[in-house]
Amino acid sequence: MTENQIELRGVRRSYERGGERLDVLQGLDLTMATGSFHALMGPSGSGKTTLLNLIGGLDQPDAGEVFVCGEDLARLSNQELAQWRADHVGFVFQGFNLLPVLTARENVELPLQLTPLSRADRRAQAERALELVGLTERMTHKPSELSGGQEQRVAIARAIAMDPDLILADEPTGDLDRAAAEQVLELLGQLNRELGKTILMVTHDPAAAEHASHVVHLDKGRLESITKNPERVRSEA
Amino acid sequence: MLRLVLRNLLAHKTRSALTMCSMAFAVCLMCILQASLIGLESAVTNAAVNRLWIQSAVSLFVPLPMSYEAKIESVAGVEHACKFQWFGGIYQDESNFFAQFGIDPDSFQDCYPELEIVEGSYEAFAQNRRGCIIGEGLAEKYGFALGDTVPIIGTIFPRTGGGAWEFVVEAIYRPRTTAMDRVTMYFDFAYLEEALRAGDSRGAQGVGVFLAKLDDDADPTEAMGAIDGFFENGPQRVQTTTEAEFGRQFLSMLGNVPAMLAAVGGAVLFAIFFAVLNTMLAAGRERMRAVGILKAMGFRNGFVFSTLLVESLVLCTAGAAIGLGISIGLEGGLQSAFAGMIQSFEISSQVALGSLVIAIVIGTVAGIAPGRSAARVSTIQALRTQA
Ligand SMILES: Nc1ncnc2c1ncn2[C@@H]1O[C@H](COP(=O)(O)OP(=O)(O)OP(=O)(O)O)[C@@H](O)[C@H]1O
Ligand SMILES: [Mg+2]
Repeated sequence: MTENQIELRGVRRSYERGGERLDVLQGLDLTMATGSFHALMGPSGSGKTTLLNLIGGLDQPDAGEVFVCGEDLARLSNQELAQWRADHVGFVFQGFNLLPVLTARENVELPLQLTPLSRADRRAQAERALELVGLTERMTHKPSELSGGQEQRVAIARAIAMDPDLILADEPTGDLDRAAAEQVLELLGQLNRELGKTILMVTHDPAAAEHASHVVHLDKGRLESITKNPERVRSEA
Repeated sequence: MLRLVLRNLLAHKTRSALTMCSMAFAVCLMCILQASLIGLESAVTNAAVNRLWIQSAVSLFVPLPMSYEAKIESVAGVEHACKFQWFGGIYQDESNFFAQFGIDPDSFQDCYPELEIVEGSYEAFAQNRRGCIIGEGLAEKYGFALGDTVPIIGTIFPRTGGGAWEFVVEAIYRPRTTAMDRVTMYFDFAYLEEALRAGDSRGAQGVGVFLAKLDDDADPTEAMGAIDGFFENGPQRVQTTTEAEFGRQFLSMLGNVPAMLAAVGGAVLFAIFFAVLNTMLAAGRERMRAVGILKAMGFRNGFVFSTLLVESLVLCTAGAAIGLGISIGLEGGLQSAFAGMIQSFEISSQVALGSLVIAIVIGTVAGIAPGRSAARVSTIQALRTQA
């Protein structure tokens, strides 16, 4: 594995909207070391989700290079990208994450259907992931029967069920109160420290960013600054 | 995947149930229409080739002289001839419709090898002037039993003193094929004729239709020509038709009913298709966010396509199965309700299979539309839709 989990070089992405061109990312460079925990901050509409989509292989840049987990994403076909995502990336999306018709355990089991695991193994693995996020008690609950914080923790359990190298979390604490947010952030920190997951988390909350090893500011299509959080930098210790 | 599909269906119980109900209703209706059409046509398709029907060349309503019976029998190839007089009487109430015919007891049985006597005896019928022989369908529907007197009010042949004709049930028959129905009353033409002559009844003398049963080795086309030719120079010209043709004439008297039934069935199917499509499009729309999540996790386009397709198929086939069950449950009741009009009403396996196939086709087409848009939508676009 390369030392850098993520390497973006000169990435551009613009959207056509009503005949008007909106340059969201304008030649952006970013390097993230394996095992680091980056918080991505920036005003609304600055392109944070767009950036996450590019890194997660959900979208292609207009220009520039995207290397993630040792792979040049531009070289992969759509089919290969789908497989690559299943193998390497766990997503926590902005907003609703879970399929409302499935229970917590079934939601976590869902991506495991893409593996050759047996039904029993899938179930066991989903239960381990839920145990890790502290929701063993809530396995058979539907999302509508969970609190916002519990929902996000189930989403995190689902993201780690496939044992990905990289977790991309888009405002995982956006809708949560302080205590619930703290729990989710602790959990992400733990995944980073104990399981060595590389994490990129979008947040608006400076207190949340405190949990990361690096804080990246995105504004006007570029990365404004990267600040290190010395007490959280694990790899350089 | 099946679990996800079922959960999705259960998430909207009312909507799923309503769509399933409309499918069930459509399939039920379709089965009934289809069975009716097949029943109506079965008389034609199962018609005997060695029976010819002879009527006046002028019209079905102009009677032929009685002496024609012997003349027809003398034509080469004709084994037996039998009078067939439409009586058109009413049993108790006009809604109790069934056909009555005056026939010759001594040739009728030979003309109809399909006739199987299940109760009483043909001989008893032949010996009793006022006797009659009835289909088992009538015995079931009206509870007629051997020895019962059945009063029939004449319409074409009203009794001069008022009151009803009285026929005594001497035998009950069951047809061996659908060329013959099971709900007709046959009585001795001589009884009618004597009454007409004695002035006990009004109405025209003569015979509406003759039936000619051919020798087994006779050529029907030749015999038809021979009979028509025999009466070429009068006193009355006749028109001879095959039994199939005669049955078709009867069907055409129903006008466009069969075509209308088919059109109604088609229209219902069309409406149901849109109902299912509407349900599935709504399902596809509200499933957008989930589609985005699934695709982001690495599920292929084909998978999200199939979830919607299978959902539509489950909805339609389950509805169809319910509808089929209902129509099979109704089969017995409808059989007797349609007894006077449709000879053999049966939800055959062919009809059942046909409606299932149609349900599957509807399910497939209605599932493809939202399935395709789910497969085509880009992952980020799908994720941008908020639940
Ligand atoms: N598919 C799209 N088509 C057109 N415009 C888009 C599309 N996706 C994003 N945009 C626009 O690009 C800009 C950046 O969007 P993006 O979602 O990346 O912002 P963000 O930083 O995640 O914002 P927020 O904090 O509100 O989530 C916004 O102005 C948005 O309206
Ligand atoms: Mg965003």
